[in-house]
Amino acid sequence: MLALVVAHLLVSLVLPGLTGRHTRIAFGVAALPPAAALCWVLAHSRAVLSGAGPVEAVNWAGPLGLGFAFRLDALALVMTLLVSGIGVLVLLYAGWYFERGSGDARRSAPLLLAFAGVMLGLVLADDLLTLYVFWELTTICSFLLVGQSGVTRESRRSSLQALLVTALGGLVMLLGFIVLGEAGGSYRISELAENPPTGAPLSVAAGLILAGAFTKSAQLPFHNWLPAAMVAPTPISTYLHAASMVKAGVFLIARLAPVLAGVAFLPAVTAVFGIATMLVAGWRALRENDLKLLLAYGTVSQLGFMTVLAGSGSYTGSLAVAAMLLAHGTFKATLFLATGVVDHQAGTRDIRELSGVAGRLPWVTTVSVVAAMSMAGLPPMVGFVAKEAAFEAFLGGGWDVAVEVGLILGSMLTVAYSARMLWGAFAVKPGVRRNEADPAPAALWIPPAVTALGCLALGVGYPLTDALTSAYAGRIAGHEGEYHLGLWHGFNPPLAFSALTLLGGLALFALNTRLNRRRELLPAGMSAQHGYERVMGSLERVAVGVTGRIQVGSLPTYLAIILLTVLVVPGSVLLFRETPVENLRWWDRMLQLPLALVILIAAAGVARARRRMTAVLLVGVVGYGIGGMFVLGGGPDLALTQFLVETLTLVAFVLVLRRLPARFTETESSRGVRVPKVLLALGGGVFVGFASLIFSSARDTASEVSVQYLEHAEEGTSATNVVNAIIVDFRAFDTVGEISVLAVTATGVASLVLTARSSRRRRHARSRRDIAVTSPGTSSGERGSEVS
Amino acid sequence: MSSVNLTMAIVLGGLYATGFYLLLQRSLMRVLLGIVILGHGANLLLQQAGGAPAGRPPMLGEAPVRLMSDPLPQAMALTAIVITFALTTFLLALAYRAWQLLGHDEVQDDVEDRRIRRLESELAEGESAENEQELDSEATR
Amino acid sequence: MTEHEHREKSGGPSSTESWFRSDAPAERWLLSGYSRDSRERTILLELVVRVLFPTVIVFSLYLLFAGHSRSGGGFSGGLVAGQAFVLRYLAGGRLDDSSTFSMRPPVLIGVGLTIAVLMGFLPVLFGGLVLESGTFAFTAPLLGKIKIASNLFLDVGVYLLIIGVVLDLLRTLGSGVEADIAASGEERR
Repeated sequence: MLALVVAHLLVSLVLPGLTGRHTRIAFGVAALPPAAALCWVLAHSRAVLSGAGPVEAVNWAGPLGLGFAFRLDALALVMTLLVSGIGVLVLLYAGWYFERGSGDARRSAPLLLAFAGVMLGLVLADDLLTLYVFWELTTICSFLLVGQSGVTRESRRSSLQALLVTALGGLVMLLGFIVLGEAGGSYRISELAENPPTGAPLSVAAGLILAGAFTKSAQLPFHNWLPAAMVAPTPISTYLHAASMVKAGVFLIARLAPVLAGVAFLPAVTAVFGIATMLVAGWRALRENDLKLLLAYGTVSQLGFMTVLAGSGSYTGSLAVAAMLLAHGTFKATLFLATGVVDHQAGTRDIRELSGVAGRLPWVTTVSVVAAMSMAGLPPMVGFVAKEAAFEAFLGGGWDVAVEVGLILGSMLTVAYSARMLWGAFAVKPGVRRNEADPAPAALWIPPAVTALGCLALGVGYPLTDALTSAYAGRIAGHEGEYHLGLWHGFNPPLAFSALTLLGGLALFALNTRLNRRRELLPAGMSAQHGYERVMGSLERVAVGVTGRIQVGSLPTYLAIILLTVLVVPGSVLLFRETPVENLRWWDRMLQLPLALVILIAAAGVARARRRMTAVLLVGVVGYGIGGMFVLGGGPDLALTQFLVETLTLVAFVLVLRRLPARFTETESSRGVRVPKVLLALGGGVFVGFASLIFSSARDTASEVSVQYLEHAEEGTSATNVVNAIIVDFRAFDTVGEISVLAVTATGVASLVLTARSSRRRRHARSRRDIAVTSPGTSSGERGSEVS
Repeated sequence: MSSVNLTMAIVLGGLYATGFYLLLQRSLMRVLLGIVILGHGANLLLQQAGGAPAGRPPMLGEAPVRLMSDPLPQAMALTAIVITFALTTFLLALAYRAWQLLGHDEVQDDVEDRRIRRLESELAEGESAENEQELDSEATR
Repeated sequence: MTEHEHREKSGGPSSTESWFRSDAPAERWLLSGYSRDSRERTILLELVVRVLFPTVIVFSLYLLFAGHSRSGGGFSGGLVAGQAFVLRYLAGGRLDDSSTFSMRPPVLIGVGLTIAVLMGFLPVLFGGLVLESGTFAFTAPLLGKIKIASNLFLDVGVYLLIIGVVLDLLRTLGSGVEADIAASGEERR
């Protein structure tokens, strides 16, 4: 399974080279990996439905317990059919939708394919962390696909909003995953499902994971990124924001339902948020004039519906959610693709400008009608089958009644906006000029036709749908249920509810124009978009405030703060140390005393010096003094190097000082600034001196390493100079690194100093060329002198 | 058997104090001199923290091994000396270039930071709805 | 590039000053093609440098090879050789391509680094570890028995690189700054 995912990604890597010239071929090639995935899944479907799907685990960091784990079970099968099946169709469709060789096509082909790959990984994942990785990858794909070239402000804004909202939810979800994994002792979902953790950790994890699921599946109050993302080209909206990615949240709840079965608040929370989303978004959909926005709010509404079902945890509810996933995938893909065709052929997707498209695009109209019937829940479509099961799931007493009422109201809205969508896109409207739409090419209407056929086939062939979904529902509930999906269950409450829904929805649609006029009068009230903007705005305000106060931009201040921290934190530790200072003596060799005096006096002189040359020379004195210390300390190599380097440093300083003013140019700082500086520096000096005492008294034996070096120098490196042996042999790697640093510095110095010269030369050469043009005689003469 | 050398500790303290003081200055050249002095101090600290009292050079066959000073801090300091040299020349070139471009070698306050500070004070002054509106559009651009 | 430098020299302010031909060194031995303005020359220093230069170079080679058993090594050897070039710069002025040492400093740095790295990887060819060292002993006529440790070559790389770095510093901080001064026509401090 990993191989399939990787195949998607590999093909997407080679696609950019192909898309520029042969757009359609490229999209055809891109459709191959999802097609392969589809075939592979279908070949395993029998085994999966009997409960023995393939499992794969690749450990790439064994000791850390990190690995990719995949499992093809019934839910994964349903999702893979959607992801790969619709993926193939959308990719083929996109080849004709995008203009040949356009920038959008070049960007979208590889990204769409990569998205198909990571989405496949997401639905197959059996490991929480694997799932998380693919989850965030889909977010990134979505960001890139919505943003496209990022030329318009709207696309930048929408893609950023989608990224921020879903990635934030994803991070919260990761926290939940970690709580869950640590509490349950495993990150494998299948193991967690068999042996779920209990108690407070489970509740916390469930809350955090729901946050992730709600953001991804655009539940209230995070729903606004999804309609905003409709600025993306239609194939992308179809695939990511209708058929597959946004279902990831619902999928996650469904996937973790057995693990979270012990969470008491789960059904209530999903029901409240789901129904609220369903109603609010359905209501909004009745007001939108842009067909894509209408469908987007419809998607949000349907996602709310599925969230309610996924959280229910009952057999019938699980059956319904699996059927609804299939139903929504098929009908929403059809409608989006059809909208894309209308937009492509008629040049607009605004309801107020479309009229009489049905006559121009008969096939598109037919498939749209089929899909809209499925969306509205009319027999014999799969939408009806799923909705019946959903009504059936909440037939109990108590709170179920409230949920049932919510679902019925939401479904009425669904019927109403389905009708509005059909009317808006295809009907002949009085007072609107009829659109001139060319007949659509076959490649544009065949993909929606296939999905529309799916709506019909899954509804009429309900035993097949039942077989697909009952395997999952059985695993959730732990037993086989009595309810089976079907078109006819006799005269029962769900049928009555369906009829009620249909009638109520059509009435709502009929009254909609009048309602809309009323709605205009209502105050705007709370808008999720406005809330998002306020949050982002205040976040930036806080960032500016904090940065403005903390980051003052003065280097001495920063350094002083660092130094102060050193004094306070390690300094206080030093004061309360336990190591006693023993064997204190004034010097090891008498000569150290005069040398020390010289060094200290020179150092004090450097601090006081006003002339550059004085300061540099005094630093040289300090350096030679240190060299002397090395001689006395038994390090001849060290002393030699110190003397040589000190000389070179002096030379380098003097070479540069030729060009700098003789005195330090800085303005004398005030007393109030200087005194703290002096105190701080003195404090630092005392700290280091004191620390050196502690360090050297803490060490009572020669270090293990040094002893080893001393012992093995002769035989190991045939060198008697142990320091040299360390440098060129024992720690030769350090030396290679060191000389690389030297090489880099030399290059840096050259580029810094010689830039002025080279620019001068360029100027010089230009002026010379000008002279040569005006008077060739002089220039040739000069050239002659150069040769000599 | 370790002994603690007070003179060396005082020298170290003096060197570090000077180095820190110079680092806190605004003139790039003085900062650079501070780094050089700190480098000297660090090399000395390495030897001092090595703990062994000043012994014989670590050359096999010239002295008994137990009388030798520790070779490891020496090797480290040797590397450090050369690296400090490289760093010094680079900073020197930077100071030179700064002087060439700006006419002085002072460390100025960071321009970006100053801009943020100005924005902050402006926002703090005019906490009006208009300003907020502007910020909103910044955020969601 | 070389052409440019020549142009600069001929175009620089020093060329307009009086130039005593009799004063020009008859032999190019150890001197770059460029000589300082007569007012800036110190004959004594030039003479001393001429004598000292080969001696110092030989001494640096001694340090390089002695480093194995006594004080010295690639770093100190390279630095000593570098000082020799510094002396030459101080006496003779700008080092440039016409000097006796015709390798450009960056190339020298690269050569040194390459030698060091290659020597590190060489043992891998013989199935050893990276940076492992071995010793080869052989008898040469006249010199007797010679023992060479492979890690000596790392030291040689270091030696060359250090010389390159010092030469590069002379090229940049030395001649580069000097050219800047000349260009701005600034009075020497």
